Parts: sequence; C-alpha cells; structure tokens
Amino acid sequence: MAQLRQDYPQFVARDIEVVVVGPEDAHAFAAYWQKESLPFIGLPDPKASVLKLYGQEVNLFKLGRMPAQVLIDKAAVARFVHYGHSMSDIPKNEEILALGDEINARTNAGA
Amino acid sequence: MSRVSLNQAAPDLSLPDFSGNTVSLSDFLGRKNVLLVFNRTFA
Repeated sequence: MAQLRQDYPQFVARDIEVVVVGPEDAHAFAAYWQKESLPFIGLPDPKASVLKLYGQEVNLFKLGRMPAQVLIDKAAVARFVHYGHSMSDIPKNEEILALGDEINARTNAGA
Repeated sequence: MSRVSLNQAAPDLSLPDFSGNTVSLSDFLGRKNVLLVFNRTFA
C-alpha cells in the first residue's frame, strides 16, 4: 500500500484512479487511511459482495485473501487481470503504469 | 466463484466508501481508467 501511495502521482498522470477494496469495515478503513495518509479511494466490503463479484480468492489454509488487481479502461473493459497465488504475488506498479500508457495510446488513437 | 476475464466488460460495482459516499465503477466511465486493488488485510 505504501508503494501505491508513493507512485500515486504517476497513476494520476495516466488518468488512472486507484480504488482499494478490502474486507475490513468502514471504521478500520478510515483509521488506516488516516494513519497512512492514503490519497486514493478505499471501499470497505465487509459483506464481500464486490470481492465475490470479482472472484478474489480466499486461501483457507493460509487464512487470508489472495491479492488481486484489475485495470479497467475508460470503456469499463478489463485490460489487465491478475489474481495472486500467494500473499506476496502482486504485480509491480511499473508494469501497471506501462499498461496504462498502452491503454491511453489506444484510446487516443480511437481504437 | 466468478472471475473477471481479460478484454471483457468489468462487472459494475457500487459501494459506499469509508466516508459514506457511494462509489460506482460507472462513475469513471469515459473519464478515467480504474485500478481495482483487492487487498488482503491491513495487518
């Protein structure tokens, strides 16, 4: 999350809004956002409605949710989908930012 | 459990943020790309 915060201006520069969804409640989100001074959107999903809609995996053996990232373009089409296979299986921001450049180039070309 | 497929329409979502303001994927349609990050716990 700290890495996302650090690179947030680069996401903004590419017209990418960062939206974090997690299983904690609004109180936990608010406390964490304040503590870490996070600039992006945080959506508490304690009922796991969106987490289920997007198929975030729960690893019962490791007692936790696997991380996942989805990059959605301005036409609401998923252009990058990554479901982590372990807690640390998270794509680098550089990879997502490069994809943002590609998406914007395609959008601007009218493709 | 469903999964999102590459190059397919992303399912719309609508949830209140931690301040109570409803955020929908469709809010960004035509305006911004969105990186959805499904977090594990904050701990």
